[in-house]
Amino acid sequence: MNYSEFSLPLLHNAVDIMTPVLLAATGGLFTELTGVLNIALEGLMLIGAFFCIVFAIATGNLFLGILLGVTVSILVASLMGVITFKLKANIFITGLATNLFASGFTVFFSSQVFGTKGVLRFAGQPLLPRLDHGFLGSIPVFGEVFTGHNFFVYLSWILIFLAVFLIYRTPFGLRLRATGKNPEVICALGLKPMHYRFYGILISGFTCGLGGGFLSLRLNAFVPEITAGRGWIALVAIYLGNKTPVGILGAAFILGIAESISIYIQGIINIPADFVLAFPYIMTVIALIVYSIFKYYHSPENNKGEG
Amino acid sequence: MNKDLSVKTWPHLFNLFITLFLASGFVIALIFFFSRTPGKSIYYFFIGPFINKYYLGNMLNSGMTLMIVGLGISFAFKSAVFNLGGEGQVYNGALVATVICLAFPGQSGFFIIPFALVTAIIASGLLAFISGILKMKWNVDELISSFLISGAVIQIINYLITGPLDDPANNLLATRTIAGQFFFPRILIPSALNTSILYALLLPVLAFMFFSFTHWGYEMIMCGQNRQFSHYGGIKVDRYLVLPMMVSGGLHGLAGGTAVLGTYHICYKGVTAGIGWNGIAVALIARNHPLGVIPAALFFAYLEAGAKAVMLHSDVTMEIAALAHSIIFYFITAQFLYQFIKQRRRKHW
Repeated sequence: MNYSEFSLPLLHNAVDIMTPVLLAATGGLFTELTGVLNIALEGLMLIGAFFCIVFAIATGNLFLGILLGVTVSILVASLMGVITFKLKANIFITGLATNLFASGFTVFFSSQVFGTKGVLRFAGQPLLPRLDHGFLGSIPVFGEVFTGHNFFVYLSWILIFLAVFLIYRTPFGLRLRATGKNPEVICALGLKPMHYRFYGILISGFTCGLGGGFLSLRLNAFVPEITAGRGWIALVAIYLGNKTPVGILGAAFILGIAESISIYIQGIINIPADFVLAFPYIMTVIALIVYSIFKYYHSPENNKGEG
Repeated sequence: MNKDLSVKTWPHLFNLFITLFLASGFVIALIFFFSRTPGKSIYYFFIGPFINKYYLGNMLNSGMTLMIVGLGISFAFKSAVFNLGGEGQVYNGALVATVICLAFPGQSGFFIIPFALVTAIIASGLLAFISGILKMKWNVDELISSFLISGAVIQIINYLITGPLDDPANNLLATRTIAGQFFFPRILIPSALNTSILYALLLPVLAFMFFSFTHWGYEMIMCGQNRQFSHYGGIKVDRYLVLPMMVSGGLHGLAGGTAVLGTYHICYKGVTAGIGWNGIAVALIARNHPLGVIPAALFFAYLEAGAKAVMLHSDVTMEIAALAHSIIFYFITAQFLYQFIKQRRRKHW
């Protein structure tokens, strides 16, 4: 029996599915490291998803669309950052407000401009180009897992490398981590922890915008609540990845495989659509629980191991 | 994140006044921008809820449900436990109450109504209990776990309503209508206002007494303000991770059951319509004060009723109303406004 016939497409889909979660989690990691729980990932992704496709259609240029869409997402993130840090609001509440704002605003905007509150479909839209490159394709057995994705997928991997570099190899990264571990140190250096928290939020706005853009541009449509909890799953991925970029990559991949398998099973057995929508939530919460139990029983060692 | 959400009363009232002022200003600006008959729209937005019995009653009725939800949220927040699963818990309560009522169509309402409500409370309380116990046992973040569990529950209930429990006789994605003897008696006749007002108004008072005069209430507030300090003080802090969560979930379940028995008499897909989130807004306006929940819920219901009236009587669409809501939510988070004015000269950024 040839397992690779269905296992490789399964992995291929997993790589595709994990990308928006991975992107959002990468940015969320930066806020998490500064000691801020950013629950607005979901809303920022939704903003990114909406504006990437709207600007891509309006300008007729895919790249420009993504650029502008991500800019809007960063703007919303900075608005949230200003309210939170400059005006001393509670980040948890501003995060909630951002999520609500995003879901209300995208539907509002879509009904005002496009006259529909439902699915926004675009004809003759710029399709995300699939990339098939020789280098990755030449990897034995797993080659086809890594090829044939759109450029967002590869961009997300590049961003992970960038994140590793930025967090562990630059003074900026060191200060970012110090902000989360011991803000007094940053104050003692004559710097402001708030600045680093703000940068963290901006970075999460950037990557969430990209993650959202992936969702809508891949579909060539915007569906209300297109993110479907992916921002929250990204939040869990940060925990599962033990707050390291590489860990997040692994966590996102595992969650991606789980969802990919559930989609595959759907094709075999007839499961009602609403039930399927519950799967990502259930799997994520189980992963979170398992991780927390594991962490709970290993916490003394873990604390020693970390620098 | 565990920062105490309550502030001193006077600055808060001052702040609230500015917030309401700005929010109203914003709504007016929005109407001027999008409506072709701004005068009429503004009239219906602000006066609409009071022009007849129907609107007034419906406003008060949605205020009652919001009050219970808001009280549930403030119970959790006051103890610094974050329950983000409100939407799923309310939905769950609504479904459980409906199913109980449908299961005993011939029985007298005298037994079945309390049974349905209590079951709804227990079912949603258990849902929240999961998050609480996970936090207590293994330190699973209750904020994330409650949201995720609620997300899953919403989809499963959607499946139940559109699948096994769907009534093919109506064209809605909804269950059958519950039997007439389970309906709460209506008070202000053309409107949906019903006798649930009795306990909706009583519960905040009971909660206030619980927090002010009982041992448990005091310990709960202490844990909310500083869990470590409470621990050193000999309070069993673990208990107060689970208990507020359960009470919060239970109240959400009650709100769901109330909505079905009092207002809708049916459980349709998406019956909650964001009430879980609005409950958070209510708790925030009230600064988690149990009695503050009463005016906060009524205020929020007033905004909603105004939005509905304006939609029926003029050309303003639902999305503008929804946007106004989210902006008001932003303004409410603005406990910063007062501090901003106070701290303007101090450069801290």
